[in-house]
Amino acid sequence: MWDAIVVGGGLAGWTAGIRAAQRGKKVLIVTEGVGTLYYFSGIFDYGDVAGLRHFPKHPYSLFDAETIDRGKQFIKELCPEYIENNKSRHALTVLGTVRQGDLMPRSMVLPDRQEQGIFVLLVPEGLKDFFPEIVVSNMAREFPGWQVKVKRVHAEILGEWERIGKSASGIDYAAIWRSKEGQNLLAQEIETIKREQQGAGSKSERIAVVLPSLVSEYFDASRTKIYGKDYSLPVIEMSSFIPSPHGRYFAEYLKHQFTDLGGELMIGARAAALTGEPVSDKQPKSCQEIIVHSMGKVLHLKAKKFILATGGLLGGGIKVGIERKSIHEDVFDLPLFVPQEWSASRFFAPQPFAQIGVETDNCLRPLDTNQGQVIWDNVHVVGRMLAHWDPWTQRCGGGVSVTSGCAAAEII
Amino acid sequence: MDVRNELTARLDACQKCNVCTAQCPVAKVNPHFPGPKGLGPDMERFRRGQFIPGETTLDDCSNCKTCEVTCPSGVKITEMILDARRAARKGPHKTMPGVKLRLRGYVLGRAEYLGKLGVLWPGMANQALKLNLVRWALEKGLGISQKGPLPAYGKPLEVIEDKAGRAGVTSGKQVVYFPGCYTRYNEGETGRIMIKVLEHIGYKTIVPNFHCCGLPLEANGQFDKARKNGLYNLELMRPYLEAGVPVIASCTSCGLTLKEDYPKLSASAAQMIGAQTYDLFEFLWLLYEKGELPLDFQQVNASFGYHLPCHLKAQGIGTPALRILRLIPGVKIRNLDAGCCGVSGSYGFKAEKYDKAMKIGSPLFEAVNVGVEQGDFQEMLTECGVCKVQIQHGTSIPTEHPLRILAKAYNIIHE
Repeated sequence: MWDAIVVGGGLAGWTAGIRAAQRGKKVLIVTEGVGTLYYFSGIFDYGDVAGLRHFPKHPYSLFDAETIDRGKQFIKELCPEYIENNKSRHALTVLGTVRQGDLMPRSMVLPDRQEQGIFVLLVPEGLKDFFPEIVVSNMAREFPGWQVKVKRVHAEILGEWERIGKSASGIDYAAIWRSKEGQNLLAQEIETIKREQQGAGSKSERIAVVLPSLVSEYFDASRTKIYGKDYSLPVIEMSSFIPSPHGRYFAEYLKHQFTDLGGELMIGARAAALTGEPVSDKQPKSCQEIIVHSMGKVLHLKAKKFILATGGLLGGGIKVGIERKSIHEDVFDLPLFVPQEWSASRFFAPQPFAQIGVETDNCLRPLDTNQGQVIWDNVHVVGRMLAHWDPWTQRCGGGVSVTSGCAAAEII
Repeated sequence: MDVRNELTARLDACQKCNVCTAQCPVAKVNPHFPGPKGLGPDMERFRRGQFIPGETTLDDCSNCKTCEVTCPSGVKITEMILDARRAARKGPHKTMPGVKLRLRGYVLGRAEYLGKLGVLWPGMANQALKLNLVRWALEKGLGISQKGPLPAYGKPLEVIEDKAGRAGVTSGKQVVYFPGCYTRYNEGETGRIMIKVLEHIGYKTIVPNFHCCGLPLEANGQFDKARKNGLYNLELMRPYLEAGVPVIASCTSCGLTLKEDYPKLSASAAQMIGAQTYDLFEFLWLLYEKGELPLDFQQVNASFGYHLPCHLKAQGIGTPALRILRLIPGVKIRNLDAGCCGVSGSYGFKAEKYDKAMKIGSPLFEAVNVGVEQGDFQEMLTECGVCKVQIQHGTSIPTEHPLRILAKAYNIIHE
């Protein structure tokens, strides 16, 4: 018997699992694959928290300001390299445009746009889906007072990749920059840049190196910080794109934190249903176990609490049939809030389908969409599965996942 | 079939996110390998159009199944690749590997026959395998790496027939043990300890004269022989399965084969085998939950690092060994979870793959070495025999089957 079983290994699931394990609870995380953290930019967006809390039914409206702050503290304690945005802080997207962020690694933070200086964009040879020309032109536009130069960097370990014309992903490169050889190579390259710039007479000017695919945060599997190098110039990390090196190292780090606290991960298993019975004639019912498909057999896993963190439409927690009438939540078969119209005409406008999800009470317990009654007493819904919010136009994906994950963990 | 299974069976569930390739241990070290997405769902479209690629690229897949447990959309990638290898063998443009590689496939696929030979005179076989000249000849003649940590042979595990005559009619509780070739021929002692542990918890063990489960045969391209072995073993198990007797595996790859591949064979027992096969610790946990596991543990004051074998991860049952061992007073375990050890069955023993296998295993070796240096643990535990051999080869840190710790706690062994 577990204190809690968390279904889903994305940001909300890991947050709930780790926080509960920190509180001394016995927790199992059941997940089919690695979850959507592998699509993570490396930056947590919280959005306009104060404003969104007044949106009717928005997940933030379920929490007080203190709870939301506790979530932020949780991340900052877990990742000491992350700093909170108290003034306006910005980072580079992989296209060289500038994006805001509310909680981001210190080494991603861009200098003030009003200042002047030189950016040297280090371009790893053959980095997949990276377009330096576009990055340079975007950076030049965003930072009119800065000069943008390009220097290519060649990692010998990928020589064979280069020879056959094969690209290497950001995750491959991140592994190189985290190795001793990679760090020595970077140190050399950066020293060369420094000498060249000083030789060119720009001694007094501020120089910053920009490197995509660099992830200097998080411990790795050896539980030691692998990245410890100081370079002779400041190095700015770019945020990640798919498959995301930040997401990969962050997800691995969360996994190690969780299992080192005594939590258990069951990956490659698919939660399919739950069984439970009414405690009395009336709602809410109490869930006793979930049905999980492992290889070759069905497992019945018992727990006191169940956390549903399977993501929404994109994460695979909500399934839509060919005919739209057959939309359903995939594990617990909870009722969904579904708007009348699913889409609006402008692609980047707020899209109604983003609001699809499970409605809950203040304790994140699922509600019947008609009567508004709690259905399951010991089931809590977190993250993208919650209804009435839009991570894209409200820019609060990380915030809602961390806040709800933390809040659910406090109830376990 | 529910909607979800239907989706995953179709390659359309693949969203092309490339996460599987980013996690693939082989793609990390071999630029010529297209990676699971390329070789699985991408090329599957060509294969549907009857374009059957040669087997050699497909052969670079080590069958560790990391891609399958990684995929956020549940696509059965390894299954697609294995099917493609099967098709390549029969395909219209079939490209067979050269004689040397075919011969190697024959030898490495037959862990069982090698085992039977090895244990005839284990001392001699082990000595011979230690000779540089023999290893040189194996590399030159068969493409089996000189440096690879080939496991040593020992006193084999004995077959234990069911004396009662008819399965399931004996009084008392029974299990069928599927030891696998490694336990049977290389590490019989582990099998004997396991039988004692099962006896301690009130179960009588039957060890029929099984053949190899078939996985090494499949991994070495001998699909027909693998299928025949499966059918043979299923027939041996059939009476027990019908009587509801559980089948226990201590080797994680055999366990996975029984759970994943055997249910697809056309035999009546195939319907039962998946649900009735248990990893040893999975079985023990079931007993614990029912309150039937004896908890007469002695204190074992030791700290361990634990490596989760890929083929146990792929079973989707979590880490039951950690659950059980943490019930023992004094035991501390850290689940390193540092990826594949690299050897993946017989993959890392192949001459052209040895260096890649060592590179694949390097994050794990580092995690082991750092943990030991920092005094976090002194020994490693892992269920899989070849993972164990590879960890010892890559780190020189003593590595054991977790069963031994349980046996110590039950006072069955004392060293």
